[in-house]
Amino acid sequence: MPTSLMRYIFFSVIVGILSWACINPIADFNQIDATSYLTIEADISDDAALNKIRITSSANRIISQNPLAVNKAEVYIMDQAGVKTIFKEGTAMGTYLPPAGFVGKVGSTYKLFVKTLTGKLYESLEEKMIAAPEIENIVTQFEVRDQYDKVDPRRSGFSVYVDFKDSPQEGDFYMWNWKHFEKISICETCDGGAKWNFKSNVCVSPALATEEIMNYKCDGNCWEISTNNDLNVFSDVLTNGQRIVGRQVARVPFDGYSPYYLRLEQRSITRNAFNFYQSLIAQVQSSGSLFDVPAETRFSMNIKPMSDSKEKVLGIFNVFSVRKKIYFIERLKSVPKEEFALIRYLNGEIYTCPPGTVNCQDRVPCVESAYRTKITPEGWIL
Amino acid sequence: MIKLLLRVLPFVFLLAGSHFSNAQTTTLPSVYGRVLDAQTGEPLRGADISVDFKKSGVSTDTAGRFRIYLPFGEYVLKVGHVGYNPYRIKFYLKADYELNVQLNDVTKQLEEVIVSSAATKRDIQTPSLGVTVLSLKGIKKLPTMMGEVDVIRSLQTLPGVSSVGEGANGLNIRGSNVDQNLIYIDDTPIFNPTHMFGLFSVFASDAIRDLELYKGGIPTRFGGRSASVLDIKMIEPNTDKFKMQGGVGIVSNRLLAEIPIIKDKLSVMVAGRLSINDFMFKWFAPDYLKNIRANFSDVATKVFYRPDSKNTISISSYLSQDYYRVDSLFSIENVIAKRTSFDYGHTNFAIHWNHYFSEKLNLMLSAASTVYKTKTYAPDTVNTIDLNSFIKYKNISASFDYQPNTKHKMNFGGTITRYDIDPGSLNIGVVSRVATVKIQDEQSIEAAIYADDEFKLNEIFTIQYGLRYSQYWRIGSGTFNEYTPNRMPSLNSIVSKKTYADGEVMSSYGGFEPRLTMKYSLGENTTMKFGYNRMQQFFQLLSNNTTPLPTSRWKTADQFIKPQQSDFLSLGLFKTYNENVFETSLETYYRDVRNTLDFISGANLQLNPNIETQLVTGKSKAYGVELMVQKKKGEVSGWVSYTYARAFNQMIGDYPEVQSINEGNWLATNYDKPHTFNMMLNIQPTTHHSFSFTFAYNTGRPFSSPSGMYEIGGKKFPVFQERNNDRIRDYHRLDFSWTINNPSMKSQRWEGSWVFTVYNLYGRQNPYSVFFKSTKSGLRAYELSVFASPFISLTYNFKFL
Repeated sequence: MPTSLMRYIFFSVIVGILSWACINPIADFNQIDATSYLTIEADISDDAALNKIRITSSANRIISQNPLAVNKAEVYIMDQAGVKTIFKEGTAMGTYLPPAGFVGKVGSTYKLFVKTLTGKLYESLEEKMIAAPEIENIVTQFEVRDQYDKVDPRRSGFSVYVDFKDSPQEGDFYMWNWKHFEKISICETCDGGAKWNFKSNVCVSPALATEEIMNYKCDGNCWEISTNNDLNVFSDVLTNGQRIVGRQVARVPFDGYSPYYLRLEQRSITRNAFNFYQSLIAQVQSSGSLFDVPAETRFSMNIKPMSDSKEKVLGIFNVFSVRKKIYFIERLKSVPKEEFALIRYLNGEIYTCPPGTVNCQDRVPCVESAYRTKITPEGWIL
Repeated sequence: MIKLLLRVLPFVFLLAGSHFSNAQTTTLPSVYGRVLDAQTGEPLRGADISVDFKKSGVSTDTAGRFRIYLPFGEYVLKVGHVGYNPYRIKFYLKADYELNVQLNDVTKQLEEVIVSSAATKRDIQTPSLGVTVLSLKGIKKLPTMMGEVDVIRSLQTLPGVSSVGEGANGLNIRGSNVDQNLIYIDDTPIFNPTHMFGLFSVFASDAIRDLELYKGGIPTRFGGRSASVLDIKMIEPNTDKFKMQGGVGIVSNRLLAEIPIIKDKLSVMVAGRLSINDFMFKWFAPDYLKNIRANFSDVATKVFYRPDSKNTISISSYLSQDYYRVDSLFSIENVIAKRTSFDYGHTNFAIHWNHYFSEKLNLMLSAASTVYKTKTYAPDTVNTIDLNSFIKYKNISASFDYQPNTKHKMNFGGTITRYDIDPGSLNIGVVSRVATVKIQDEQSIEAAIYADDEFKLNEIFTIQYGLRYSQYWRIGSGTFNEYTPNRMPSLNSIVSKKTYADGEVMSSYGGFEPRLTMKYSLGENTTMKFGYNRMQQFFQLLSNNTTPLPTSRWKTADQFIKPQQSDFLSLGLFKTYNENVFETSLETYYRDVRNTLDFISGANLQLNPNIETQLVTGKSKAYGVELMVQKKKGEVSGWVSYTYARAFNQMIGDYPEVQSINEGNWLATNYDKPHTFNMMLNIQPTTHHSFSFTFAYNTGRPFSSPSGMYEIGGKKFPVFQERNNDRIRDYHRLDFSWTINNPSMKSQRWEGSWVFTVYNLYGRQNPYSVFFKSTKSGLRAYELSVFASPFISLTYNFKFL
């Protein structure tokens, strides 16, 4: 049979078997119910920087609305010895922080108490902090995912795998997160002919938009922060006490040739937290197949309403210990010759003060946020 | 213009010819002849003659005679008469042409039975209710998906039969869950009726003679499932003549041979089907698909032996196999494996001995065995996994048919079944970092005795009444957990374990299952029927997926899982018109089921030794009205049906405060689709070719729509407050097929045919599900469509007679 005919038949089959299925966004999705619930996300850890409790009221719309901060609540945790640690609302509304220097202790048991301004009480179940094992080994592999186009950033990248030793006792649960810091020199971009107003710190558009794009340099060190989009959890139920090898924990895009800074976190979480994250994974990460499990939210997982037993509470009391590794991925190594990085080029011009002007400002500040920082990341050697 | 003239002129002549035929002196040639009734030989008056698809105005006289004058040339002539199948001929007219035609009376024609709600006459005459018979000859006329004749898909064109969506595994019949339907092939059960995770039926169509679907009045000889029975019979091989048939399609190749060994006594049938797409992946697929392997096969055999006129023995087997290797499609949770293979299939055997004692009494003895095995493995990593499970079914039955006189037809007998189940064995005898896990084997015995009698009181009233008694024993060896009394079974509430010795009864259940159907004739062609069933089910599928995976676990009843029990009531009205050419039916039903299962929020079913901790028991109800109009004979045949059907579950559990789903309110099941409209149209102008259209419409199935959004770890997640509170878009689809039989039109032993099919003709992207993904601005809703574009296929079939 001629090859072209075989190809034709093959493509019919492929089109048939693999590409029949398609996924389309629903542009005009209408919610039939809109309800808000109290949400408590409490992180108690042996890393001081990670201890925080966020209390919000969930958004009753799935898009273009954010959860509202619940402020002025009384929040504290108590350990097995009855030692109380009060969390106070910080500068970010609805976010409650412990006294400086507070760290959770591995082996300790904690319980959360919340009283809202309206007088409603909430208590968590007791959760024990379990030691997280060290990340013993990190392996990076350049992998191409052929199902994506050449111009798709998901196509080529580096998969990051870790090895570690699970503890001999049963019932260990793990979670991985990563943070990437990318040093940037441009802190703001104004498009449509807009210009930066250095007093009000916003782009000001002209009356008539143009195609001009103007970029503004940072006034000091600035890093852009990106984190994992997906939740990644694992249970030792089938591998208790073993050395766990090759667990994929990150996927790094091939968008440059410079070393890629990665701060990996390996957390030991509780069974309740594992079940909670598993349910989130089922809802948004592994959904969209023929075999989905029912989409269900696990209300009041380990935080229970004390004033009104019928109230449904969202969120999790997450007690965990953490081990970190700072790792640089060499993006010049082990990349096949035919693969090139998808580098983002800067559009437009960079604003500079006209020569000879006095007291001219041409740099903008690096504003601290979840996505940007001027604090040098831990272990930064580049 | 010249072309137009050429077209118009013949009609001018034709009209002239017909109007002035008596005074004809022209030299134009004529077509003349007689039209007769093929059965009676009587002349047919008033038959219309059409030329080139236009009415000529000429019709036959009282003696059935006609004559038309036409210019020289080529014509297509059609002779038609109300109530008769038309006759068409193409000829070149050079001189006078005699054409004698015999037309077949549609009412006397054999039915082109695709579907009959228990066959027209039978339907009216017998009390059977909710029983549908499909012939394979008929099913083959329906447009198919990718050219694969598919029993399961064909059944979905009938009222009351649906599935959660395209590509879903199994059937939902009158609001049943997939595991509540008993599927038999030659009296051996099928536990997973599809190949390729739900895309194609496991039944090799060539080997099937017919299938009966019992949606309502279920005879007492069937039991063990709480909703319906699909009874598939394999063909009995021809003892007289060697026959072969087969086909080549884009998905699979098929072959069937019927081989007589001793004339009129012993013959063998072998049928096989093998999917072919697998090797193409290796040759032509892009790199990322090269590793995919997907193939399936079925082999059916039957040996038929008739030593004398009083005995027949048949041995049948049915083997099906699926094999897949995919990169991280479904692996076992909490195991690191890059590539996983799946293997699953049935091995079914049955032996039947029929003995005819007399004209009044006969006996059927049968022994059957089914083994359904699944295997999930990843041998090529350090974390080797080798997960196996099986269901072994062994059954012996004896059934008597006794007809003491013309008023009674009795059927009675007994049956005993043993189940041995390995729910899951991981890495037994395998060196791996992944643990060895063994879920304890389950053994059980299900026995039943039954009798029913069809009693014809008079021409108007017939009653079929029967009783079945089923007893079930879960037997050792085995262990049960004992939980703290009045606390929900959970890992923390296990207080002790109770161990049972080999063969010891661990738990038992039993009960009577009355069955009743009645027929009352309201006139010669109209009957009303009523039916009531009670059914028990001791064996159920544990799956909380939209549609079950082939590896989902089957579980026998025990002290935690009570058998399901259903009561089913139905009422039907049947009427035929025009000597059975048309049939209409109206059926209503109500079904109530106790002890159905669902799962706690976030249930973990994988290799769980304490599965009772994950279950919630509840009840189900379903009701509906099914309307169907069929035209069963003639050049154009087909049916139109409308169904209103609802199916709900109420899952409260024994500990409602923690277990209840949707706060214990009734909730629509995944397959609750209130309105369904189906149409099937078959046009067969000649025996050489036919066209079929099927159209399907149904209300979209329920899905869970979020009430809002919340943030965890800076990421956005939907809040699902209620299950199945909204519906996906409605479903509709049109399919077309064109079958050309014996294109050479020569009578020969080898006869080929082509089937050209377009599935989803207008390419509607029917949604299968709606789901949500997190984006920076919030959550976005998406629709998954399984067959989102038209799919064209061509299949070649052949027969060697």
